[in-house]
Amino acid sequence: MAVTLHINGSATLVEANSDIPLLWVLRDQLGLTGTKYSCGIGVCGSCMVLLDGVPEKACRIKTAECVGKSITTIEGLAEQTDHPLLKTWLELQVPQCGYCQSGQIITAYALLSEKRDPTADEIDQAMSQVLCRCGTYPRIRQAILQASESMSAKEQSS
Amino acid sequence: MKPFNPERRAFLKKSALSAGSALVLGIAWSGEIVAATDTEPSFKPNAWLKIDTDGVVTLYIAESEMGQGPFTSLSMLIAEELEVDWQKVRVEHAPLDPAYGFQGTGGSRSVRRNWKTLREAGAVAKQMLLTAGAESLKAPIDRCQAHQSRITHISSSKSVSYGELVGRAAEMPIPKNVKLKHHKNYKLIGTPVTRLDLADKLNGKARYGIDIKLPGMVYATIAQSPVFGGTTKHFNGAEIKRRAGIIDCFDIGEGVVVVAKSTWQAFQARKALKIEWHEGKTAQLNSDNIIQRLSGETSEKPSLILERGDAMARLNSARNPIASEYRLPFQAHMTPEPMNCTVGVEDGQYSIWAPTQSPTSAKASAVKALKLLVPQATEAELEARIEIVTPLLGGGFGRRIKQDYVTQAVKIAHRLKRSVQLVWPREEDVQHDHYHPLTQHRLRGSLDEAGNPQAWHHRITGLQSSKYGADTLPYDIPHVRVEMLRLDSPVPIGPWRSVSNHYNAYAIEHFFDELALAGGQSPLELRLKLLTEPRLKAVLHKAAEAASWHQQDQRRLLGCAVHSSFGSHVAEIVELIRLDDQNLKLGKITCVIDCGTAINPDTIKAQLEGSVIYALSAALKPPISLKNGRVEQHNFHDSPILSFKETPPIEVIITNSQLDPGGVGEPGVPPLAPALANALLSAHGKPVIDLPMELNGTS
Repeated sequence: MAVTLHINGSATLVEANSDIPLLWVLRDQLGLTGTKYSCGIGVCGSCMVLLDGVPEKACRIKTAECVGKSITTIEGLAEQTDHPLLKTWLELQVPQCGYCQSGQIITAYALLSEKRDPTADEIDQAMSQVLCRCGTYPRIRQAILQASESMSAKEQSS
Repeated sequence: MKPFNPERRAFLKKSALSAGSALVLGIAWSGEIVAATDTEPSFKPNAWLKIDTDGVVTLYIAESEMGQGPFTSLSMLIAEELEVDWQKVRVEHAPLDPAYGFQGTGGSRSVRRNWKTLREAGAVAKQMLLTAGAESLKAPIDRCQAHQSRITHISSSKSVSYGELVGRAAEMPIPKNVKLKHHKNYKLIGTPVTRLDLADKLNGKARYGIDIKLPGMVYATIAQSPVFGGTTKHFNGAEIKRRAGIIDCFDIGEGVVVVAKSTWQAFQARKALKIEWHEGKTAQLNSDNIIQRLSGETSEKPSLILERGDAMARLNSARNPIASEYRLPFQAHMTPEPMNCTVGVEDGQYSIWAPTQSPTSAKASAVKALKLLVPQATEAELEARIEIVTPLLGGGFGRRIKQDYVTQAVKIAHRLKRSVQLVWPREEDVQHDHYHPLTQHRLRGSLDEAGNPQAWHHRITGLQSSKYGADTLPYDIPHVRVEMLRLDSPVPIGPWRSVSNHYNAYAIEHFFDELALAGGQSPLELRLKLLTEPRLKAVLHKAAEAASWHQQDQRRLLGCAVHSSFGSHVAEIVELIRLDDQNLKLGKITCVIDCGTAINPDTIKAQLEGSVIYALSAALKPPISLKNGRVEQHNFHDSPILSFKETPPIEVIITNSQLDPGGVGEPGVPPLAPALANALLSAHGKPVIDLPMELNGTS
């Protein structure tokens, strides 16, 4: 069954037979390999994408259910190169192996979009959805705090 | 950077890469296949670097980039001597070539074994550029200097760029002896240079093994026997082949393979497999009976690892000997990218994209697999038909030293005669790892009248265990005996970040605290008194200062541990905060390393933060266990790792020194678990004899 998905701002025709999760349509059909397979059971968060702005694990969403919704993957999000989150992420040299980082960035972006100045507890809750085996957590925390500060400063100055 | 273009498969036509030939292929970390043609003029003085006419400097790194940073730290070594504009540096995994020697990344060796070689490679190239530049500027060479990718005649300020000198430099004789810089003149080494692999790790463009897609490629997955060593008796292959999208289903010995038009179809078909296994003897195996075998009495003679004085006699005559027994369980690696391998097949040639820690071993495994399938071919013929390309690795931690996924992918590709990608689902990855071994440690010690340790006896009993980390006791104790009984393992065992240092340091450092407390001494003060390695003593001293060791009370409890491994010396202090009678919580963790010359301090800091978190997962989370010959865990839900909110603050301090660099990827792991156990010992007065540790409800 061919369906049209709205991915990173463009309408894209894909094959969505049976219950195929969005993850595999992104990776195998569309070559959007920034969204990663790691656990396949919605536990590790490496496949996080934005569905109408809300972070969702692409290995657990059926493709057919994404029709009519706006999907943003890391490739789409990364186009905002001057976003404070991406800047601090680079500045603090957060990634190590980098494999989970799309999931981390997508989740942190959603958190800051919803709340410019999240509490430590809110950061804990949001970011504990994505596992990192290299242990980049301390830098992720710092990057979120720093991005939040610079976003607030920008708001005040404008 | 050009986009990934799998059609550009020049590598296949260039497959006869031989020693001494120019570097013709590689894969950039962004996935771009690089095939420099011989017609493009460039300056390639050695296997490590190439300068093009536009001034772009390409560095070929022969260590696997799995997050630990060799792309950057090794590039810094070349660039330091080459005097190159860092903005013009790009980096790639080197192809597999004898010019690089054995290509295998492990043992925190990347910087140590390249320290001299790569600086010399840079210095040789700089010398040739200087000679060429002086000639071009018609200036005496001793009045010219190399700086920021230019050769400048100092007095006239006339200069010429490296790019412009490419043709002329290539004609220059290769200097035999080059002088390396004095450390006072370093410009890059010791500075927190931004990693060269970061940008594409932020935008989804970084290509890992699992992201490789070849033209016409099909997707394979595997179901291996849940019981180690089991073989297939019968499976519903015909039924599986009738499923939509399934191309083939067959047994390759290691398990049943499903080949499909997509990963999802392959994964779903794997779940629908009904396989009967010949389970074999291992089916009787449980963690409990392995533990019994390790703790039981045996007539087998252990091998002697370290002896001084007469520990046994002292212990036998000691009035109050102290004895303890610790056990460290199986651990999985849980690399974020599951095992996978992609094989391109064209005209009988195999190009293998292997996210491996050792391209050399990957090739050997591929040759071995093909030799069994094509016995008439000679090894040399098979070698000429195999190309290994190393993409980025989504974590390694020792797991990718093993090449089982490469062997399987080659077998599948040979049978299909077409390009194929093998991906293990996470469940296969957890159940078919090469695990951190289960080890048992029996320790006995005695004290002299002043309460100082006098005798020490450590017996390691472990599955394929190793002595490293226990072969030198860092303390001045007069009577010492360390021995090991190494048993065969029915479970695959492999190197796991810091290898045997993890379990051996645990035993030594936790028992040291037991002895110190039995003698009424402060574990910190006694260490500072007895440590024989001044560098280890210095890092402990610094850690104690940073963690405010002397400010301890009933609410704030600290534990410390030290360990030297992979050429570096580390001290760690774990803080526990008492919440109430029953519960403790992790406070700050302090980590001090002396790794000699610190190449890229920011990478070192990242490696130590990561090591602490990696070791905390092993200390606090459920380990791997066996029942009926099967690993009982399946995925991240039952083989968990530390999460964001469970991670305490970590302070890393790097001490400065001009000594040769030590390793940094692993030395931060071993001291963590004993430091935490020592803090718990201080809280509860009881040693921690088994992992995982419990912070709650154990007062």
